[in-house]
Amino acid sequence: MEDLHGKEIVVMKGDNAEEFIRRENITDKIYTTNTFEEAFTRLAEGYYDAIIVQKITGIQLLKQMKIKTIKPLDFRLPRFRQDYCFAVQKGNEPLLSRLNEGLSIVIANDTFEEIRLKWFGPSETKQVSTGQIIKIILIILLPVSIVLILLWIIFLRREVKRRTNSLQQEIWEHKQTLNALHIHQSQLKESEARIRLLLNSTAEGIYGIDQDGNCSLINKSALQILGFENRNQVVGKNIHNLIHHTRADGSPYPAESCNIFKTFKNGEKIHNSDEVFWRTDGTSFSTEYFSYPIIEDEKVTGAVVAFWDISERKKGEMELLKLKNELEAKVALRTKELQEKVVKLDKSQKAMLFMVEDLSNITVELKKERKKLEFSNKELEAFAYSVSHDLRAPLRAINGYSNFLLEDYAKLLDDEGKRFINTIRENATKMDQLISDMLNLSRVSRASLNLSEVNMASIVKSIYNETANEKEKKQFEFCLNEIPDAVCDYSLIKQVWQNLISNALKYSSKSAEKKIEIGAEKSNNEVIYYIKDKGAGFDSKYENKLFGVFQRLHKSSEFKGTGVGLAIVQRIVVRHEGRIWAESEVDKGAVFFFSLPDK
Amino acid sequence: MENYEEVDILIVEDNPNDAEMTLRALKKNKLANSVMVLDDGEKALDFIFSKGRFQERKKTVRPKIILLDLKLPKVGGLEVLKELKQNPQTQIIPVVILTSSKEEADLIESYRLGVNSYIVKPVDFNKFVEAVRELGYYWLLLNEQPK
Repeated sequence: MEDLHGKEIVVMKGDNAEEFIRRENITDKIYTTNTFEEAFTRLAEGYYDAIIVQKITGIQLLKQMKIKTIKPLDFRLPRFRQDYCFAVQKGNEPLLSRLNEGLSIVIANDTFEEIRLKWFGPSETKQVSTGQIIKIILIILLPVSIVLILLWIIFLRREVKRRTNSLQQEIWEHKQTLNALHIHQSQLKESEARIRLLLNSTAEGIYGIDQDGNCSLINKSALQILGFENRNQVVGKNIHNLIHHTRADGSPYPAESCNIFKTFKNGEKIHNSDEVFWRTDGTSFSTEYFSYPIIEDEKVTGAVVAFWDISERKKGEMELLKLKNELEAKVALRTKELQEKVVKLDKSQKAMLFMVEDLSNITVELKKERKKLEFSNKELEAFAYSVSHDLRAPLRAINGYSNFLLEDYAKLLDDEGKRFINTIRENATKMDQLISDMLNLSRVSRASLNLSEVNMASIVKSIYNETANEKEKKQFEFCLNEIPDAVCDYSLIKQVWQNLISNALKYSSKSAEKKIEIGAEKSNNEVIYYIKDKGAGFDSKYENKLFGVFQRLHKSSEFKGTGVGLAIVQRIVVRHEGRIWAESEVDKGAVFFFSLPDK
Repeated sequence: MENYEEVDILIVEDNPNDAEMTLRALKKNKLANSVMVLDDGEKALDFIFSKGRFQERKKTVRPKIILLDLKLPKVGGLEVLKELKQNPQTQIIPVVILTSSKEEADLIESYRLGVNSYIVKPVDFNKFVEAVRELGYYWLLLNEQPK
């Protein structure tokens, strides 16, 4: 087609070819003739370069005109319409059907192609076609080619087998690899899940950083601690700028001086517990973190940071520190106080030493005083002796000589004179009684206690028998209950009973009912003895006067006595570490109690 | 009382009133046959052991009883008692202490030294007479001494 460009092409006017070259714009040198014969003649004469006609028309005309200088070219021009058909006069259907029948026969007996080739085949074929050549080809080439084809087929079959085997082998190997890959993949998934679980189940925050300082991974705890909602807020971003941008004191913290920076730049392991991390809400918390380098092929490719919120711990530490400081302050204060006290104590000690000195001086003085006392005690004894001895002699003389007077000069005295002398004698006797009671009282106080086990019942019995006269024994109902023995001074306790029994007898002398009851009761660590009478008794409001020396609740004219007896009894009981008391109502009798320790 | 050998009762008493009363009590009981009164302990010892002014006296003749006061000038009653009771020749003579007070210490010491009786002189003279009678009967009449 390209060869036709710019060539002088001749066509028959109004032919398809004219429309074709004009439509396709094959060339601008278009020449037309009125007939095909004219066009071929002109071409044969040397005009124009080429003619375009329908194949059959061209071949037929060349044959008829016997032109041999023009060569038909056997190729189809694209988009050049060459439609052939049977055309019949309208209404001549029998002819048309005859033509179709003939065509179908031609097609059926394979002569169509022959016919077509005869009419439409290339002109060369017609020229070259020699049955002999074809025969030779057929005779020689056919068997050779059949043999060759057979050999080829055998070879091909072998090759196919071999290839099939190797392919199957390859497929098997691929399958193995694929399985292994699957296993690896599932293991990887598993371990990844495990690592993820591990990461997310730890309480400490963990995050990874690549060499640019961007976050490569972060676990749940870290998100939670830092206040992020999801990983996307952190992963791929510069984590230093997110959480580590400012120091605890508020000053900016450049990434270059950050400790963690050292890890993923230099591969240093870092442990730190005095920095802060910042949460998304702008608050900070004290943290402790470990920063480990990630090393791949001996190169640091990043870092993993594990951290904790230690603000509670820090708070605790602060509190501890505070406590410690307070304690130290207290200790210092106490130490100071103690030192002051020690100083005071030193002073006190000195004071004590002085006191001890004073005390020993006092002791010496006391010893002197005691000696003096012992001396005066002896003097007292001497005094008591002389009282008893020397005071009595004049009394005896008064009494004795009054008696002589009465005996020798009775005739010279009238009754009044005799009464005076008797009064003198009685008073001398009373004075003697007073002196002996006083001496007795002082003896009771001074004498040492000779403690022994004493049969109380037998003492009481014998004293009653000694003290009560025959008449009294007849009058009185004497009732002695069971009384326990006592550890006491025999002669002193005898005086107690002697005084109490004689009192009971004396104060019952004017009562109608005469009964003395003696008994005892044991109570806490003591034995309480009692003596009960139905006598005159006393007014209980004077009870405190009962045991006083020379104290009397009755007139001498009613009941005789010096008022020393109960005083002696009280002293004896007190000297035995006992108590004495009395209960009474006037004219209803009295009960005297005294206790002795129950030993 | 020149005849010292006839002394039955020896009273050693410095108080003349007491001595007189004792004599009167003895008389009342008809015991005052041959009574000798000495007014201190030294004289009493001289008399008994025939010393000093009594050196002429026969030692062999002893009074039947000695009534001894405790409180005496020069040599006390207890000392006299001790001398008497330590000497084998005199220790058999009955000694009765006649004293004003019943001082326990004196009483115990007297008995320790071997006194035969101990009488507290009562203020009431009648009781004194009674007491003297009792001891006179016992020591002078009933109690037979070895010769």
